[in-house]
Amino acid sequence: MDAFLDARMWTLVAESTWQTVVMVFLSTIFSMILGLPIGVLLHVTSSEEQGGILPHPVFYNVLSRIVNILRSFPFIILMIVLMPLSRLIIGTSIGTMATVIPLSIAAAPFVARVIESSLKEVDPGVVQAAKAMGSTNWQIIIKVLIPEALPALVSGVTLTIINLIGYSAMAGAIGGGGLGDLAIRYGYQRFSPAYMVCAVVVIILMVEIIQFIGDKISARLIAKR
Amino acid sequence: MEIKLRNLKRNYGSLHAVDNVSLDIPSNTVYGIIGRSGAGKSTLVRLISMLEAPDQGEVYYDDKRVDNLSKKELIEERRKIGMIFQTFNLFSSRNATENIAYPMEICHMDKTYIKQRTEELLALVGLEGRGSAAISTLSGGQKQRVAIARALAIKPSILFCDEATSALDPQTTRAILALIKEIQKKMNLTVVMITHQMEVVRDACDRVAVLDSGHIVEEGDVRDIFSSPKSDVTKDFLSSLTNVHESLVRWSDKGGHYTLRFRGSSTDEPIISSASAATGAIFNIRAAGVQTVNGEEMGIMITDIGPDEQTAEKTVMYLREKGVGVEESKKEAE
Repeated sequence: MDAFLDARMWTLVAESTWQTVVMVFLSTIFSMILGLPIGVLLHVTSSEEQGGILPHPVFYNVLSRIVNILRSFPFIILMIVLMPLSRLIIGTSIGTMATVIPLSIAAAPFVARVIESSLKEVDPGVVQAAKAMGSTNWQIIIKVLIPEALPALVSGVTLTIINLIGYSAMAGAIGGGGLGDLAIRYGYQRFSPAYMVCAVVVIILMVEIIQFIGDKISARLIAKR
Repeated sequence: MEIKLRNLKRNYGSLHAVDNVSLDIPSNTVYGIIGRSGAGKSTLVRLISMLEAPDQGEVYYDDKRVDNLSKKELIEERRKIGMIFQTFNLFSSRNATENIAYPMEICHMDKTYIKQRTEELLALVGLEGRGSAAISTLSGGQKQRVAIARALAIKPSILFCDEATSALDPQTTRAILALIKEIQKKMNLTVVMITHQMEVVRDACDRVAVLDSGHIVEEGDVRDIFSSPKSDVTKDFLSSLTNVHESLVRWSDKGGHYTLRFRGSSTDEPIISSASAATGAIFNIRAAGVQTVNGEEMGIMITDIGPDEQTAEKTVMYLREKGVGVEESKKEAE
């Protein structure tokens, strides 16, 4: 009986881990796609003192407000609000794929801020030099700002992935699948601490691995300069 | 290329950073603009180099007005000038070669041409074989060399140097200035050098404008300015350079107090002795120094001339006849 339970548990843990990996992977990509342009826009339109190359206070303030509002939404509420959107796009509001949409949207404003603050760190003198050489704004963004900020951006992406692992566990609570779902359904509702412990340990391992890889890449980029 | 500035004004709030500046920077020269910090140098260079638009006034490159260009024209025009900075401002994400390639990349030049041109430029600035070096591994002087190569990549006709040697030690400063002068001659560049160091003006510039609180207080050939400075700011810059400074001198009670400025051949003659012999004057030399300005010897001497006022007057006349600049100093203590 115990052996059977163990085998079943490991299968479930493996399945849930894979679901979490898929969820986190896809939502990282989509949240980057959404958040990167917003982050760049925020930085570019910020005031000149902040390093903005196309300062536009009204646009900046409106966008900044929207980002703040989205960031202050409790994630669980955002998920419920965005359920109809998942249904519209994926056809269902339950399951791993359906969770990717609220996850991406929830992480996008965070990504935007991370990108904005990374770009802000770029030496303004370097940007001035690029400008003096006759770079277009687009060239400054693509050829100067992003490459110069790359180590910080990698750290930002690492942070985003780790956040998304946490969010994805929460998504389990409303039928999103993955390790969070496993921990709640088996560990909490069926009183099986083994499941809970397993799920938590796997999540901790994932976070550690991502952090390790992110730090390595970032350090590598810095060492090359 | 010749640069003309007409009545340039730029305010920040109530601060007149640049106040009614008109200048003619002739083609094919090294032109210095010197001023203390806060004199408006940085603003002025940003106006001349099209990084900032003036509130009033005009900037001309040859006869083309460049201060009111459209965005597209502005980018076109900026691609014809080179600029180097105090902090080098190199791209840390690119190695030396890639830094030099940047201005050519943004103009979409041919890749094989870029490769060949970067090699040429590395050789020009004396960094052959260092192309693949990361920027952080280079010394300050090497960084400025890469920056110079980058600025020259698109064969500009104007090179702006914004405090380009201020972060370098004296030896490296001399080497970089020598390189800039050499390149200026080779490429017939107009070099505009913004600085707060009089030795940079002395060692590198042909002409100089002295900037003080947004105004040009003095302008002219460097040798003329060094031999007969008119404004207090200029005199101050000069005395800090030679360390011959009136405020450091303890005057005697008797006799007039004079600053003598010698120039060229007069530094070789025993003028003081001959003046003494001719008028019977007694010199009490307090401080003196000689330096080379743009290939010409320049001397400065702070001295009392006695024993009485009549003799002093006669001596001053005699010295002026001999081509020595004489200024009577005010006694500050009285």
